[in-house]
Amino acid sequence: MSFFRQNRKLLLVLLGLVAFGVLRAPWENRLREQLVKQRLLLPPPGHTALQQMSQSALMGTLGGLRSLVATYLSLDAFGDFGEKNWDELQRKYRIICNLEPRDETHWVSVVWHIGINATAHVQYYSEEMPKYERERRFQQYCSEAIKLAEDGIKQNPKSAPIRLQLAEVYREKLKDPCNTARVYKDMLGLEGTPGYITRFYGYFLADCPGKEKEAYAYLMRLFQMGEKHHLPTLFVKIKELEEKLNVPFPRRIKTDEPERPDKPKKPSNVLPGGIVVP
Amino acid sequence: MSEVLEKNPTEEPVETSPLAVEVNNLTKVFSTGIRGDHVVAVDNLSFEVKAGEVYGLIGPNGSGKSTSMKVVLGLMQASKGEAKVFGLDSGDIRARNVTGFLPENPYFYKHLSGAETLQFYGKLCGMKRKDLKERTAELLEMVGLEHAAKRRLGGYSKGMLQRIGLAQALIQRPKLVILDEPTAGVDPVGSREIRDLILKLRDDGITIFLCSHLLEQVQEVCDRVGIIFEGRMRREGPLDELIAIENQTAMTLENASPELLEKINELIKAEESTKLVEQGHPRTTLERMFIKIVGRKQDGGKS
Amino acid sequence: MSQPSASLNRKAPLLSLRTVWTIARGTLTQLIRMRTFYFLLAFAGLVVAIGNFNIPETPAKELSMIKKVSFGTMDLFAWLFAIVSTALLIPRDLEDRTLYTILSKPVRRVEYLLGKLFGVLIVVGISLTVMYLLCGFMISFRESVYIAEELAAMEKDGRYSNKEIRDQIALISKHGMRPELGIAVIASFLKAAVIAVVTIFLSTFASSSLFTIIISILIFLIGHAHNMASSFWLHQSDGSMFVQQLVKVVKILIPDFQLFSFSEGIVLGEVVPYALVGQMFLLTAGYIIVFLLLSLLVFADKEF
Repeated sequence: MSFFRQNRKLLLVLLGLVAFGVLRAPWENRLREQLVKQRLLLPPPGHTALQQMSQSALMGTLGGLRSLVATYLSLDAFGDFGEKNWDELQRKYRIICNLEPRDETHWVSVVWHIGINATAHVQYYSEEMPKYERERRFQQYCSEAIKLAEDGIKQNPKSAPIRLQLAEVYREKLKDPCNTARVYKDMLGLEGTPGYITRFYGYFLADCPGKEKEAYAYLMRLFQMGEKHHLPTLFVKIKELEEKLNVPFPRRIKTDEPERPDKPKKPSNVLPGGIVVP
Repeated sequence: MSEVLEKNPTEEPVETSPLAVEVNNLTKVFSTGIRGDHVVAVDNLSFEVKAGEVYGLIGPNGSGKSTSMKVVLGLMQASKGEAKVFGLDSGDIRARNVTGFLPENPYFYKHLSGAETLQFYGKLCGMKRKDLKERTAELLEMVGLEHAAKRRLGGYSKGMLQRIGLAQALIQRPKLVILDEPTAGVDPVGSREIRDLILKLRDDGITIFLCSHLLEQVQEVCDRVGIIFEGRMRREGPLDELIAIENQTAMTLENASPELLEKINELIKAEESTKLVEQGHPRTTLERMFIKIVGRKQDGGKS
Repeated sequence: MSQPSASLNRKAPLLSLRTVWTIARGTLTQLIRMRTFYFLLAFAGLVVAIGNFNIPETPAKELSMIKKVSFGTMDLFAWLFAIVSTALLIPRDLEDRTLYTILSKPVRRVEYLLGKLFGVLIVVGISLTVMYLLCGFMISFRESVYIAEELAAMEKDGRYSNKEIRDQIALISKHGMRPELGIAVIASFLKAAVIAVVTIFLSTFASSSLFTIIISILIFLIGHAHNMASSFWLHQSDGSMFVQQLVKVVKILIPDFQLFSFSEGIVLGEVVPYALVGQMFLLTAGYIIVFLLLSLLVFADKEF
């Protein structure tokens, strides 16, 4: 009893803390839900990410310096990019993306690094490696890039840049017109989708076996929308489809290609999404 | 919950007590350590300070002086008994309107200048701007710190801090000033200045309650003294009564001839029951001698 | 001898805002003269360094990184500053015995605590405003440079339509300086306010500034991490009863500081509803009231 008498104040303080804690808990849970829903608060990073972090990064993350840790790691990852250390780079980006899953620029970067740079590196600059190994690694990096992009899209369902980068992997690396077209289709109507995607969707659908009719209908709709879309590739693609589908001659479009001034080519170091290759 | 030190004031008017401080059966017990051991710092202490007098509570270090003072100031709560200031419970915030306090070795905000310090404390007392400005100037002059009014306290000497501390205690024109070891760490010149200030305050009708272990100092200014030891009041009364040796008489003569001294000695010898205890030239105190030698000029107004 | 009855009968309100303001102003002067604002110079240097990041990335990503690092650092500086300056105040007043002279004036202890808290909050508010202006200037400057470069590049080869150019500029602007970022600063302020009042609470029974600083930082880290760490621990410990109970106790006793980190979402460009900001203000007020009351409970009969 004397303990309670002597520590009356301490007990009262504890009681106050507990009462306030119990009262605020439901309110705070509701607020947390709302903040997460509004994407203002990030959900906790997965335990794998926390486990993979260095001690200091973990402390920083737990201490509320999540953005700073993510930024530091992404700067650090540039070192791995310079060293062509793709696996380490991917590991760091897994953590970064876990820390800030809603920053689409992280996903775009990692898909670009793994899907474009790492694949190019094993394809063209790893001559010391046996051909079989290079091909296997190429496929592995492509799959990893696709997986990363899909994870990114799950976190950012309305992201056009991640899809653009994913389509790049399908288009440039895997030469897969069907999946390229599928991704472009997903992008239609999303904010930030470049205007040319409307046409690109049709172009790649046209190359997808079994989708010719659908592609022809789509490209014809574009054609009928006006001269704005009357670009050389559109003509070429429609002509190819007319041949493939045996479209009766009277229904075929005129063969004259529109006159088009010579336009400078897009700089070779600029990738879709505006990413500049150093 | 334990009783709070601040008592909620009532709006009822207070009858002014003729006693500035009233301490009745005050006991203060401190718990020490986790095991809850107890130390009795003040044990059933009672004393009164009459309005207008200078009262000194003296005793060695650790005798309970400061603890009693803190209870009177409302900084501490009595374990038993009570302390009143002008009839109000010492925890009543209104008592602090009429009380000024100078703690031992006071430290104020070093970043404030002398004048800013006084204004800060004046504002805490609810003083109006104009009045505060005038009062600040008046007090700075009184404690001899006009020249250092704009200097930050970080550059003040110990004596200057003590004087600004005294000015701070007086800012709201209190009727009771409580001083805890007012000359601790101050050199004799500064000490004398503080003593003079205390006497001036008494002449202005302000009650002074001071704690000290420097007997000489207390002797010079106090009307009444209480001697406290191990938390208990050992002796209390008017200073003259306390220090007088009832069965001895001292005579100090000036320019007395050897013949006169011889006659006096003869007379003493004639009285059977009287014995000459001591004869010689009176000594000045060390403090007086020091002041005479050093003087105020060397200090240039700074201690 | 004059009678003190007039002074004794002077009204003593339960809370004098004038006294609170006097102590708050004193605290503000103290922190300014202690040269605590020098840390803003360090921040300015950092912002300039961040502003000169040169990463082989898109302008949008570079701007986003600059913004995140600047606002993240601002948030870090705000809460750290709130802890350190608060922890230096009350224990120092006690160590220096300045508290004796203050409390021996007609000052209520609640007025003293409120004054100290408001003083710290004013300083944190000023610091955040200055930091925000510095960041705003740097980000706006970089944004205008990027836009000018992009415009020049896109217009030069004439391959892009006006709409495409507008879209690209809009993308850069989205990651640049936007008025909503002001709310991110408010979020940092609310977080700093909560940790300041928790530090005041701790310093009412702490014996030194150092102790208060260490414990406050520890509480802040735990309060920031418990939501994140609980899932981690629970996973690690395979949901052991002990860990579950421990997580519950921590959640109840320690404020949830992660909730106040909604500035991160705002910096990433998310829209924040004002109603939600209002609720966060209310929650902050709740924390301030409760922790001030608890501080008062300890401080009211504290003996010096």
